[in-house]
Amino acid sequence: MLTFIGLGLYDEHSITVEGQEALRNADRVYAEFYTSELIGTSLEDLESHHDIEIEVRDRTGVEQHPEDILEAAETEDVAFLTAGDTMISTTHVDLRLRAHERGIETRVVHGVTAQTATSALTGLQNYRFGKATTLPFPYAHGAEGLPASVSNTIDDNRADGLHTVVYLDIKVDNEAATNRLETDETLEEYMTADVGAELLAEEYPDLVGVVVARAGSPDPLVEAGTMTELAEREFGDPLHLLVVPGDCHLLEADALVELAGADRDALDIS
Amino acid sequence: MGRRKKIVQECERLMDEPENIRNIAIAAHVDHGKTTLSDNLLAGAGMISDETAGEQLAMDTEEDEQERGITIDAANVSMTHEYEDTNHLINLIDTPGHVDFGGDVTRAMRAVDGALVVVDAVEGAMPQTETVLRQALREGVKPTLFINKVDRLISELQEGPEEMQQRLLSVIHDVNELIRGMTQDMDDIDDWTVSVEEGTVGFGSALYKWGVSMPSMQRTGMDFGEIMELERNDNRQELHERTPLSDVVLDMVCEHFPNPVDAQPMRIPRIWRGDDESELAETMRLVDEDGEVVFMVTDIAMDPHAGEVASGRVFSGSLEKGQELYVSGTAGKNRVQSVGIYMGGEREEVDHVPAGNIAAVTGLRDAIAGSTVSSVEMTPFESIEHISEPVITKSVEAQTMDDLPKLIETLRQVSKEDPTIQITINEDTGEHLISGQGELHLEVITQRIEKNQGIPVNTGEPIVVYREQPQQPSAEIEGISPNRHNRFYVSIEPMPDELVETIKMGEASMDMPEQERREALQEAGMDKDDSQEVEHIHGTNILIDDTKGIQHLNETMELVIEGFEDALDNGPLANEPVQGTLIRLHDARLHEDTIHRGPAQVIPATRNALHKALIDGKIKLLEPMQDARIDVPNDHMGAASGEIQGRRGRVDDMYQEGDLMVVEGIAPVDEMIGFASDIRSATEGRAAWNTENAGFEVMSDSLQREKIMEIRERKGMKLELPPSIDYI
Repeated sequence: MLTFIGLGLYDEHSITVEGQEALRNADRVYAEFYTSELIGTSLEDLESHHDIEIEVRDRTGVEQHPEDILEAAETEDVAFLTAGDTMISTTHVDLRLRAHERGIETRVVHGVTAQTATSALTGLQNYRFGKATTLPFPYAHGAEGLPASVSNTIDDNRADGLHTVVYLDIKVDNEAATNRLETDETLEEYMTADVGAELLAEEYPDLVGVVVARAGSPDPLVEAGTMTELAEREFGDPLHLLVVPGDCHLLEADALVELAGADRDALDIS
Repeated sequence: MGRRKKIVQECERLMDEPENIRNIAIAAHVDHGKTTLSDNLLAGAGMISDETAGEQLAMDTEEDEQERGITIDAANVSMTHEYEDTNHLINLIDTPGHVDFGGDVTRAMRAVDGALVVVDAVEGAMPQTETVLRQALREGVKPTLFINKVDRLISELQEGPEEMQQRLLSVIHDVNELIRGMTQDMDDIDDWTVSVEEGTVGFGSALYKWGVSMPSMQRTGMDFGEIMELERNDNRQELHERTPLSDVVLDMVCEHFPNPVDAQPMRIPRIWRGDDESELAETMRLVDEDGEVVFMVTDIAMDPHAGEVASGRVFSGSLEKGQELYVSGTAGKNRVQSVGIYMGGEREEVDHVPAGNIAAVTGLRDAIAGSTVSSVEMTPFESIEHISEPVITKSVEAQTMDDLPKLIETLRQVSKEDPTIQITINEDTGEHLISGQGELHLEVITQRIEKNQGIPVNTGEPIVVYREQPQQPSAEIEGISPNRHNRFYVSIEPMPDELVETIKMGEASMDMPEQERREALQEAGMDKDDSQEVEHIHGTNILIDDTKGIQHLNETMELVIEGFEDALDNGPLANEPVQGTLIRLHDARLHEDTIHRGPAQVIPATRNALHKALIDGKIKLLEPMQDARIDVPNDHMGAASGEIQGRRGRVDDMYQEGDLMVVEGIAPVDEMIGFASDIRSATEGRAAWNTENAGFEVMSDSLQREKIMEIRERKGMKLELPPSIDYI
């Protein structure tokens, strides 16, 4: 049995009760933190809190050499953990399909993800979001300036009046990517919202963005402004993401003004 | 005022009169007497004493050159010569003749407008004669001919007038055949063959310092009979005094080589692809010393006091101390610390060097041999293509760890000075690799590191550089990224030789405008549609993008190429470079989000797909070959041809030439290591030989596996081949 368990957003308490039970009953626990992390806790705290041992896998250990995970799951109850939800953004559906190929039973225990937290904290309605996109560190992709997939996503969504979630890159832990660093660049662990806004400001200086920082923690932050303004501010500890609102419903606009300090005149209100 | 100082002053005065300048190179087959001839010219111009010319070898300034008796670096010198009552400034470059140093010859040709080709009267036109002529003509440099060692025909071989005339005419005929063949497709050159009647051929003896030409015979009233008599009676001093070599040759230089004003309008379109209607093009054509500065670096040398010295040709403007100049391929500007000209082996600083001259500049720290240096940003000159690729590698390591940083710095310097050297620096193991044109080339480089830099080094045995190439088209292969969200569909096919040659010669590259590249590729036989879809050229390999309208592929292409380049630099058989392969990208499936199609996904996917396709195309190992020509007395002919056949070689031709037999053949470079001492002992030292790199050939099937395993073991790779390689 292979159980995919989402750990939720912030620390060892962010997991659901159902997830906690599944986790504590597992014979063997694997986790990956290369796509996202629990900022509010450490691996040791996570292990001692749940009284389990966790084997952390890097990207290669999950994508290229998952054989031992699958082998174990043939005879034992194996749990596979990620921050957030295991099937959103980080698409571990591939691992699940490989398990099915071997006739292994699988189960998914959901976790709270940034996607739901974003709707919840900003007041922007879940029904009015278009495609999401990730803004990578400039060294980690093969394009000049802002990748077209990011700007196309924002433009297409806005043309349809939809909001866009822009996830911000976290450190890519592989040689191929770090080799591409310019000599004067240092490897930042997390892309902060001011850095993301600065990259977006190249193409969208006056576009309104909403920063969502530390969703799921005791002190989340939501702040709106133009990309140029946001690039100048600081938003504290990670993780951060950015939302580009499309056309706002009246109540959405009210929420952005009240909860994120948005300038009502700068919003497109329908 | 010293004599030298006077000459410098006269040179400075003449530099400003481009009509009276000649920029020339002396080039020849090894040992045909270039450097001895250069010394004659220097002595004639009063730069070294008359008595020592020929023995002094003033142009061979490096200690190892004087020891070996051959020229290794191209050396520069300026001199003055009075012709038809006008004083001329002659900027001369002496070039090496040994095949291993061909890169220096090619670079020297960029700086000059005329090439004095020297041929030994006894040996006639030899393989390197052909090579240097080709190098000159490709650069639009006009040749003249000097036939050297005529004294040997008279005194040693005791030839009569008719025999001698026959021999000289046949040398001229051979050289003209070469020139005609090489220029027949060049529209901008009508007839550059040489002739005695026109005075573009000289004869003489550089050793005994006499020379004649048709115009000189008319002037001095001496005929051939008189010359033969003086030579035969050992009256060489009289011969030298009555018809000195330097006057004959320098007159020929002034009369028949174009000055920069005549040469640049024809040469600029050949070597520069910028906008020919721009002001810059105009000032280069006019050799305008008031224009923007345009300086092409053809050589970098290390001076113990001044540091790096960049020498080359000023095509426009005037070089002066303190100028801030752009260096092609680098950001920012370099400040000129000094400008000078060459007098013998030494530099003389001067106030300025105007367009049309050869200059020596310090302070250009970013420049390498081949850089374009200019006062405005501009299209760089065509890269100086050298015809041969490195075929031999040697490892070098410092004997003491303390010398390591200095060794790395020196190696970087070496590759800057000589772009035909490739350096692979491995900071982890401390074992660095130098790749070059031949055994001698590498030996000289390592000796210089030890002697000049005082770094004791250990060097490994010379290792041959191999290539890998597919033998047939492959099927379409799927490459999957580690996360399985990205797929690439690739096939390969071996490229026709003509196309490979076009790329190797730099006639089609990604640096040139798209339209020109397409035409060059089509001319070499590429399909029109393919030529429009060329996405990348790496080494002699081409990537064709056959995909249509795939979203996000554009922003991923850089990573796709990176994966392909990695696969090509390290072939699937033995991590040797892949050559002559045409890659087609047929289709791709990409993940929506950039994060899931980053370098960690795309690079391995494309690299693996290409390796699989290459294996499906039955990729095989190629080894470098060398043409060999051995001149040997009849009774040693068997031993000489045995030396070639015994080295997995093939004798292609054997024929009589004069009293010697000539053996021509081809053998693998790997087997030719140590050839020099073996042929000497096999023929009791009676053989004269010459080798020339002759490209790569597929190794025979029976040797493939053994050689691949040998290379894999040396490189510390796994000793088993992927199971899909079942055809070797």
